[in-house]
Amino acid sequence: MFWQILKGSLVRQRQKMFMVAITIALGVSLTTAMLNVMLDVGDKVNRELKAYGANITVTPRSASILHDFYGVEAGGAGQYLQESELGKLKTIFWANNIVDFSPILETRAIIGQTASEITLVGTWFNHRLDLPTGETVETGIKQLKSWWSVEGNWVQESSQGAMLGSMAASRLGLQIGDEIDLVIPGSDRTAKVKIEGVFNSGGPEDEEIFVPLGLAQKLTNLPGKVGKIEVSAITTPENELARKAAHDPKSLSLKEWETWYCTAYVGAIAYQIEEAITGAHAKPVRQVAESEGAILQKTQLLMLLITVLSLIGSTLGISNLLTASVMERNREVGLLKALGADDTEVLVLTLSQILFTGIAGGFAGYFLGLGFAQIIGQTVFSAAVAAKPMVIPIVMVLVVLVTLTGSLPAIRMLVSLRPAEVLHGR
Amino acid sequence: MNILELRDISMIYGTVKALQDINLTVQKGEWVALMGPSGSGKTTLMNIIGCMDKASRGSVVLDGVEFSQLNAKQLTAIRRDKIGLVFQQFHLVPYLTALENVMVAQYYHSMPDEQEAMAALERVGLAERARHLPSQLSGGEQQRVCIARALINYPMLILADEPTGNLDEANANIVLRLFQELHQEGHTIIMVTHDPDVGKLAERCIMLDHGKIVQHSNRYEGVAKACVNG
Ligand SMILES: Nc1ncnc2c1ncn2[C@@H]1O[C@H](COP(=O)(O)OP(=O)(O)OP(=O)(O)O)[C@@H](O)[C@H]1O
Ligand SMILES: [Mg+2]
Repeated sequence: MFWQILKGSLVRQRQKMFMVAITIALGVSLTTAMLNVMLDVGDKVNRELKAYGANITVTPRSASILHDFYGVEAGGAGQYLQESELGKLKTIFWANNIVDFSPILETRAIIGQTASEITLVGTWFNHRLDLPTGETVETGIKQLKSWWSVEGNWVQESSQGAMLGSMAASRLGLQIGDEIDLVIPGSDRTAKVKIEGVFNSGGPEDEEIFVPLGLAQKLTNLPGKVGKIEVSAITTPENELARKAAHDPKSLSLKEWETWYCTAYVGAIAYQIEEAITGAHAKPVRQVAESEGAILQKTQLLMLLITVLSLIGSTLGISNLLTASVMERNREVGLLKALGADDTEVLVLTLSQILFTGIAGGFAGYFLGLGFAQIIGQTVFSAAVAAKPMVIPIVMVLVVLVTLTGSLPAIRMLVSLRPAEVLHGR
Repeated sequence: MNILELRDISMIYGTVKALQDINLTVQKGEWVALMGPSGSGKTTLMNIIGCMDKASRGSVVLDGVEFSQLNAKQLTAIRRDKIGLVFQQFHLVPYLTALENVMVAQYYHSMPDEQEAMAALERVGLAERARHLPSQLSGGEQQRVCIARALINYPMLILADEPTGNLDEANANIVLRLFQELHQEGHTIIMVTHDPDVGKLAERCIMLDHGKIVQHSNRYEGVAKACVNG
């Protein structure tokens, strides 16, 4: 009987209920789109912004003191980091925010064939690194410097290959496939490498030659040593606390310090890197880091705002439609009450009708929203948006919340409706 | 045996005294006609007896239960269990068939029972129309469905507010014949009517005017007189 009444009233009010479903579907589709974009593109935007490079550089402490005080690049002995410690970057509190990193070991070298001097950089290109935690990550400049435009190939880690900057290549008349001898001036250490790729970075690297780290260590006779590490991390925008900490960490109270330490400020991440790696000085490359976080946070705030507004809009729309629907049905409801239905029974009946409509609308809205998310992803961020499963429960809760809130005025009318008033046509 | 006893019932809407000090008892098996000019308080009185309104003052006792202490839920339960309602407008659920409309009353009372509902429709001569929607039935037929629905839970009291008010003579006669049969079977009926001929069918006629009982006749001959004069 309940179902007959429910079905009958749904069919009879199909136009209104259809409008309710559409209102919910619109709200839900926008919510779904925004949540998916926020959660999925959030990562993607971050990766895109990160393309501007490392935002933390890690150098040996003594070297950095020299640099900071006298403005000279350290070349002296003993100022190196250990390659074996790089994995520790992924063990810090904010390990998951460290997206990529790459070691750098620089030296001057002479190219035998042209007798010209060049800066030689040993690094990881695309390095598989086993972490102390048992996981494996792939990292290196291929990820870190993803904006480089490369002719030929990225160098294989194990090979005797090299990548030559485009400026150096044209100045020296070298091409992909050429084999060259590298000589360290004032020593008898040499190596023969093949140019696998020529890159254009738009920066000073275009005058340099990049080789696998191991080869550079052999040439400089610095096995297992690294000159600096470039790190790309996802960070939270700076605020008052972060600035206070950057100015003088000792000025923080214990509680402030804890908050700071457990927030992904670039300073806090740098601090944790220093804790993890012996003799390291980690320095934020501040502007880039800050704008990355700020842009993302503003975008997300905007999306959240749109979502909230659209949900409020839906709620208001539903509330109007449902009030109208209850007014239209007041004789019928009065009759049911006169026949002995109590408030609870009338409420259950009406709420079932509303929730059924809400769920139908929510279902349609969800899939519509996935479509919207793709459109937004493609047009705004030029990226496909994966449907995040965690959006589904959020949307379900929101549908129930919006429909119930929207039906509050209607429910009040239902409860206060007195059969005597509607049945005698007053 | 008294089933209904009204003592000093008054109903005041702001400044309007819809009912003033009404005293009335109804015996089991009686048919009482309630008459009087428009606005005299007939519907108001029916609503109070039917647990759809609470009197401003006075006491209503139905089957030994006094209403004034009861809350809305308890009043609903009394209406559901002891009272059958028939309205001037027929008030059927538009998207349910005649049969389902009868079953709705069973559903809120206890359990829908299709056979019993069917029997009730047969009782009012509508067995063939059981699967029709209200919109497919004539006014008289709709009112007969309402009567079947009012009877389905064996009410102790049937309240009918101008049940023939919206019907032509032929249909009104069919409906009235039904009420006569019900009366003969021992049902207790209170019926509001404007029609003296209908009033004559009742055993007792009560005249209301400006919320007061102005005439009360128990005898059949007196009824006719009182009602015609009113
Ligand atoms: N809810 C209300 N609020 C204010 N006044 C009311 C209300 N209900 C009834 N009244 C007034 O009480 C008086 C009695 O009304 P009632 O409906 O009982 O008359 P009635 O005898 O049924 O009339 P009719 O024959 O036209 O149906 C009228 O003056 C009416 O205006
Ligand atoms: Mg009336």
